[in-house]
Amino acid sequence: MSDDLHTLSGAYALDALSSDEAREFEGHMGDCASCGTEVLELREAAASMGASEALTPPPALRARVLAAAERQPQLPPLVTRFDGAGKKRRWRRIALGAAAAVLAAVAGVTVTQTQGGPELSRPVAAVFHAPDVHSTQVRTSNGGTITVATSQRLDEMAVDTHQLPGLSKAQVYQLWSIVAGQPKSAGLVTDVAAGQAMPLPPAGAEVAITIEPAGGSRQPTSQPIVVLSPSRV
Amino acid sequence: MASEPGLRLVHGQGSGGDIDVLLTRVARGDSEAFGRLYDEVAAAVYGLARRVVRDPERAEDVAQEVFLEVWRKAPRFDRSLGKAKTWIMTIAHRRAVDAVRRSEADKRHDQHAAPDELDREEPGEAVIRAEEHGAVRDCLDTLTDLQMESVRLAYFNGYTYPEVATLLDRPLATIKTRMRDGLIRLRDCLQGA
Repeated sequence: MSDDLHTLSGAYALDALSSDEAREFEGHMGDCASCGTEVLELREAAASMGASEALTPPPALRARVLAAAERQPQLPPLVTRFDGAGKKRRWRRIALGAAAAVLAAVAGVTVTQTQGGPELSRPVAAVFHAPDVHSTQVRTSNGGTITVATSQRLDEMAVDTHQLPGLSKAQVYQLWSIVAGQPKSAGLVTDVAAGQAMPLPPAGAEVAITIEPAGGSRQPTSQPIVVLSPSRV
Repeated sequence: MASEPGLRLVHGQGSGGDIDVLLTRVARGDSEAFGRLYDEVAAAVYGLARRVVRDPERAEDVAQEVFLEVWRKAPRFDRSLGKAKTWIMTIAHRRAVDAVRRSEADKRHDQHAAPDELDREEPGEAVIRAEEHGAVRDCLDTLTDLQMESVRLAYFNGYTYPEVATLLDRPLATIKTRMRDGLIRLRDCLQGA
């Protein structure tokens, strides 16, 4: 990647890029492991500069902030456990059954900026390096690991699939967005090294991955290897 | 605010870890911890907002938005992506800059000032500097004039780097490079401090 883009790290850390440029730079960070670290450090330097302007706010602000927070629900963590109750749709029950063991292994693990390595596709990398990214690693029932990232700012979700077991040419990993128990294809992972990005699913939706015949399926034909609840961002 | 702003010293190095711990508790919905977190970082957040948006009332609004975002997103704060305080100050800066850019048209008129004028301190307004802040000042002094002006116009005035290039009448490439090497110098100096 060009030096030109790389040198934008300072302007990026200062929020001095247009939103288009910021997005482009975030894509670049996917190709440049050291850039993520650099941005983190430069942001820290900038934050120190900001903190050096400390000024006591009017005392009334405290009560207003606390009262406002009282009325504001917090966002749930990225991956939540299913309640498992009252699921009507058969496929969803299957999905939940398959996912139960898998989710037990979810430790709320976080990833570093360099997660995914240099091969992630640009849209996937953009999500992983979004300033507001939240990411989590999840084991899959077929012995792999995926890393999921969401960005409210980009309104995107991405899955880093490079640690999934390889499949034969006759099979493909397929992503599903499950809304109200109804799975809808969210794309095929044609290159596990590149990962896959998709729009952030609506509130309450779940995302599943199944192994399907090459070319994908209209509806899932196998039990999911993982089910996630990315929730609303 | 006019006579006695009721200043309080902002803690230096020691508080960083506390803020991380407090944010972890806030992430579990602990509103008492949220109050303490507010006490730890409110001056930094408000001070930055005030410096960027200038208007005291709007700065309060920005600070409130910042704390609500911190409250909402605390469960998703990813510790591997840096310190809690940096995360909060990054939110604060983005919100402040957004506020300034939203009202760009009327705001920019009176800010088309010479860069040295932008560095002024508000008269009658006391800015607290704990040791940490003295270090920032000292480190900023190690920057070249162009580095300092580029960094400050972007960070404290919310200008994009092309706007800074225009204001300072320098090539784009120069400005973005100065922003980067200026921040790198500041980082290195602070790490050594």
